[in-house]
Amino acid sequence: MSLNYQAVGWNRQKKIYDRTMVLGVLLYLGLFIGITATTNPTATAETLMIRGFGTAALLLLHIILAIGPLARLNPMFLPLLYNRRHMGVTMFVLALAHAVLAMIQFHAGGDQFPLISLFTSNGDYSSVSQFPFQPLGFFALAILFFMAATSHDFWLANLTAPTWKRLHMMVYVAYFLLIGHVVLGVLQAESSPFLAGVLGLGAAVVWGLHLTSAWLEKADDEEGNGEGFVDVCAVEDIPEKRARIVCLSGERVAVFKYDGKVSAISNVCRHQNGPLGEGKVVDGCVTCPWHGYQYRPHDGASPPPFTEKVPTFRVKVSEGRVLVDPRPLAPGTAVEPAVIAENAAEELSS
Amino acid sequence: MLVQVVTLFVAGLGIYAAIGILFAFYFVSLGCGKLDPMAKQGTIGFRILIFPASAALWPLLALRLARGRQTPPIERNAHRDAAGGGA
Repeated sequence: MSLNYQAVGWNRQKKIYDRTMVLGVLLYLGLFIGITATTNPTATAETLMIRGFGTAALLLLHIILAIGPLARLNPMFLPLLYNRRHMGVTMFVLALAHAVLAMIQFHAGGDQFPLISLFTSNGDYSSVSQFPFQPLGFFALAILFFMAATSHDFWLANLTAPTWKRLHMMVYVAYFLLIGHVVLGVLQAESSPFLAGVLGLGAAVVWGLHLTSAWLEKADDEEGNGEGFVDVCAVEDIPEKRARIVCLSGERVAVFKYDGKVSAISNVCRHQNGPLGEGKVVDGCVTCPWHGYQYRPHDGASPPPFTEKVPTFRVKVSEGRVLVDPRPLAPGTAVEPAVIAENAAEELSS
Repeated sequence: MLVQVVTLFVAGLGIYAAIGILFAFYFVSLGCGKLDPMAKQGTIGFRILIFPASAALWPLLALRLARGRQTPPIERNAHRDAAGGGA
């Protein structure tokens, strides 16, 4: 939603988000290093930092993975979704700091090139319990690098959204590699059940949220198709300046109620396929909850000078019910909104 | 054997990265504008931010530049397909 690319499209919300996140990371690092130094006085400063950065990155990864399903389960979490990519880049920076310090600590002092040493210092690749954990971290970091490096809108536009999405879905591969990295690297050396418990709890929370939100979304996706108007909900089912999401013609449609009117547009944002129906009407425009891209509800077009457009749908309101024609109109096609007040007045007079 | 395989892998990675870094200098200064008109007026900060991925994805970007693509493709979905696409 810009005429030329900038480094970061800052706004007040993003600044607050980033400040809060950085403060949270610093607080975590301070607490982790302070508590570990107290409980384990023999730990060196390098070890404390390696573990501090590593655990901070892993914690942030769990938060990142939980935000999506949390926002689907409860709109209260949508603000966390808004600037998630900055959280991803922060997580990569923390993981990189962990990796660089670990390479210096464990591989820089030998006669082998550090990266070769990383892969060969433990050559027990045929073992399960003694499998080398550091290469797992290397490949996870490589995935996180690709994700962080391609997080700018330029890459989304030029790699195309499906390719970009597939690349960023690799976060789940990185997650499994990191779990293997931690399980093999740390838990084998630690006798305390605390770390195993925390890791298991993290996995249970992440996967529990994913499964729950997927199950609820599937239940909501009652497919509507065909020629005639489809009854999607009652007018009062849609909160003011918000939407009801229904599945029509193979994709979700966001039906918005605003200023006594109802309009329907395709739910898929042109930017990153964000869920427009989970956003709200701000300054007369449907605003994507992910990155703030805006579309006018009556024609699905971004306000000038922006050029993004999404498909629109014909809408009627009859006897307090909202009816949507499931045939999508070309992106940017203006459709007269269904007026609730007039309709109600007609019903009262008849 | 393991050391030889890893040495080859690391050497290949080094060569890939070296070519990528050289390519990225060209791409962030001129190439990105040829691929995407919106990047022609991109800020310095934008060019710095796209540098790492330009180096990492250099074969793909070089191919795109060779094909002479001028505008980013528009994604398809069920509604766009049914409605006839558009901007």
